[in-house]
Amino acid sequence: MSSNTTFIGAVEIGTSKITVLIGEFTGREIVIIGCGECSSRGVIKGSVVDYRAATECTHNALEIAERDANERIDYVYLAQTGGHLEGFYNEASLNVKAADNMIEMDDIRTVCDLAKAKELPLGRMVVHNIRRPFRVDGRLVPTSPENLVGQRLEVGYWTVHGQEQRLADNIHVIRGFNLEVRELVLSSLASGHMVTSMEERQNGVLAIDIGAGTTDYVLYRNGAPHTTGVVAVGGGHFTNDISIGLRLTECQAEKLKLRFGRAQVQARDKGEKVWLDGNYSIGDRQFPRHAIESITAARARELLEVVRKKLGQGFAPESCAGGVVLTGGGAKLPGIAECAANVFGTSARLGEAPSWVNENLRDPGYHTALGILYYGVSVQSDRSAAARRKGGFLRNVTRLFAST
Amino acid sequence: MSKDTYALPETRSWREIPQQVRPRAMSMEGRRRMAMGVMRAVIGTAVIVGVSWGAWEVAAVLRDKTDAMPDAAKSDRVRSLVLATDGVLDRNWLAKTLSIAPDATLMGLDLNQLRAKVLADEQVSTASIVRNFPDTLTVRISERSPVARMMAQAPGGAPKMLLVARDGIAFAGVGFDPAMVETLPWLDGITLSRTPRGLEPIEGMRLVSDLLASAKLEAENLYRNWQVISLAHLATDGEIEVHTRDGMKIIFGTKEDYLRQIARLDLLVDESNDPTRPLREVNLALGAQVPVAYGTAAPTLNASPAASGLDAHSAAPQIAFPSISTPHIDVHREL
Repeated sequence: MSSNTTFIGAVEIGTSKITVLIGEFTGREIVIIGCGECSSRGVIKGSVVDYRAATECTHNALEIAERDANERIDYVYLAQTGGHLEGFYNEASLNVKAADNMIEMDDIRTVCDLAKAKELPLGRMVVHNIRRPFRVDGRLVPTSPENLVGQRLEVGYWTVHGQEQRLADNIHVIRGFNLEVRELVLSSLASGHMVTSMEERQNGVLAIDIGAGTTDYVLYRNGAPHTTGVVAVGGGHFTNDISIGLRLTECQAEKLKLRFGRAQVQARDKGEKVWLDGNYSIGDRQFPRHAIESITAARARELLEVVRKKLGQGFAPESCAGGVVLTGGGAKLPGIAECAANVFGTSARLGEAPSWVNENLRDPGYHTALGILYYGVSVQSDRSAAARRKGGFLRNVTRLFAST
Repeated sequence: MSKDTYALPETRSWREIPQQVRPRAMSMEGRRRMAMGVMRAVIGTAVIVGVSWGAWEVAAVLRDKTDAMPDAAKSDRVRSLVLATDGVLDRNWLAKTLSIAPDATLMGLDLNQLRAKVLADEQVSTASIVRNFPDTLTVRISERSPVARMMAQAPGGAPKMLLVARDGIAFAGVGFDPAMVETLPWLDGITLSRTPRGLEPIEGMRLVSDLLASAKLEAENLYRNWQVISLAHLATDGEIEVHTRDGMKIIFGTKEDYLRQIARLDLLVDESNDPTRPLREVNLALGAQVPVAYGTAAPTLNASPAASGLDAHSAAPQIAFPSISTPHIDVHREL
């Protein structure tokens, strides 16, 4: 093993389960060497409400993953979700400074700083600043506009911010294991990065990650995230509705949902009944299949409509050629893709992990954790490269002369 | 346009959240990891401090305290030669043998070469040379002890006396007391051959040495009278011939215990103390039966019974004695 190999932990503290993946990062590639999973307690809708219980579960999952990998984690990328996360768009423009109108790095840096500078309400903190493509005199520039010629440089940022205390709680849960949180990654960005291809992101695609407590979505356009969001509704609400509607416990309702739930009503016979357990045990009861399907289908449709509504004008079927890609545990509900296609008026499919992902990790429940690892590494690499560019000796000398 | 011209609003990032938590908010594993981390840091710091301190000390010694350096590190001129030996060789012999240049330094000496020089003298059987800093060379040797002597002549050279050790090595014999050398018997009937390093060891000297040692220890009166030891029949018949100063020839067998043979000889000599019938030949190589030849008169050199004028009965048996006034050495053999 080389000395610059690091072991990165990707942690997703979800409402139903906590997932930890360990990746061995050599500086060039990352290989997944360990996995740990634990049922979640003390977490509601992605937020820690019981520190001790959440810590216990998370640390348990971390220990399992470290045992599986037989290595110690160096630092952690942590998934971030929850209803407290919000986003807004802010853009800035500036006239190019040079007489020959050639855009310099200073111009780019200044316009980016201006676009990111937005005062947040008290107690809010930036989680992500997602840059949209530059525009030079209205012309779209997907990469860096340095050395291009133009008079006006524009850029926009989608800024995701969250409540300070909730962010701190999540970080402290990891810190209680004496691990540093190196990167916070939005769950939607992580899972979207895994289930969509570069081409789809270029053409426009909407990725929806339906978890147990929350639903995260990200809309890509021109190869970059355009809008992200979190809806504090997830698969757990389907269970809750069945529980109330059919007067069952959460556990029984979950069982019925997994066995008979559908995102579109398929049962034609309203009198068709299904057994709760089906093993002839005392107390086993029958329930109308149509009722179960109606509840889950209504809830699924409602959930997707909420997403559509939150996207608002940002989403248009004609600008989303890649369609809708569904992932997460809730995406395993039969008929959800058809339901999404109806709601969004475009094609929809279930997300799949890339072919190189190990068979054991191809379940939609792992897409977020996988995405954290790969997205986190790419973000960190970009940041390191930027820091190297920024700190170059010749560049500093040039800047000194330029300013004088 | 510069960033300084704008008053950008402060935006707080999640990175500003302090990640430190109190130990009580940590799990057991977290506390264990923290303790391990602290321990690693402490050990690492201690190692770095220790190595730095050691390097500093060494640098200080090298810089300031050259007189505190071990003497072994200096290379001084050889001022003293010390010889430790179990024999008779002395320091002059050592100085002459080694012939070390006056300005030679102790570290500049090639000890292997010096040892080879010392061992070139056959009188030395083992040698070790050590440097004793700052300026002393100590040589420890063990010497060969002579058990007999012989005359040898190199081609074109004068005859020269050599001493012979128990292992058959012949050597010049420097430093021995001449009176002691005079007591050593001469060797006869031997074949010498030269090798690039000197003379080949003489075959059978171990048997001769045992005989001489037994005689010297048990019957010194007899041993003092032994003048020549002949090895002419040693290889073929297993017999050692001894010629005494008074002309008697004694034949010892190498197969029987020397002590027993010497005891018989002693008895015979004591029994036949008649000056008119001196013993001329005693053959002890045949076991309990010891043939003895008597003479009739005092032995004369190269005497023969016919020459003495005695009749056949009184002079029997007819034995021709070799000349023993000087030992018979094959001086014509090229060494």
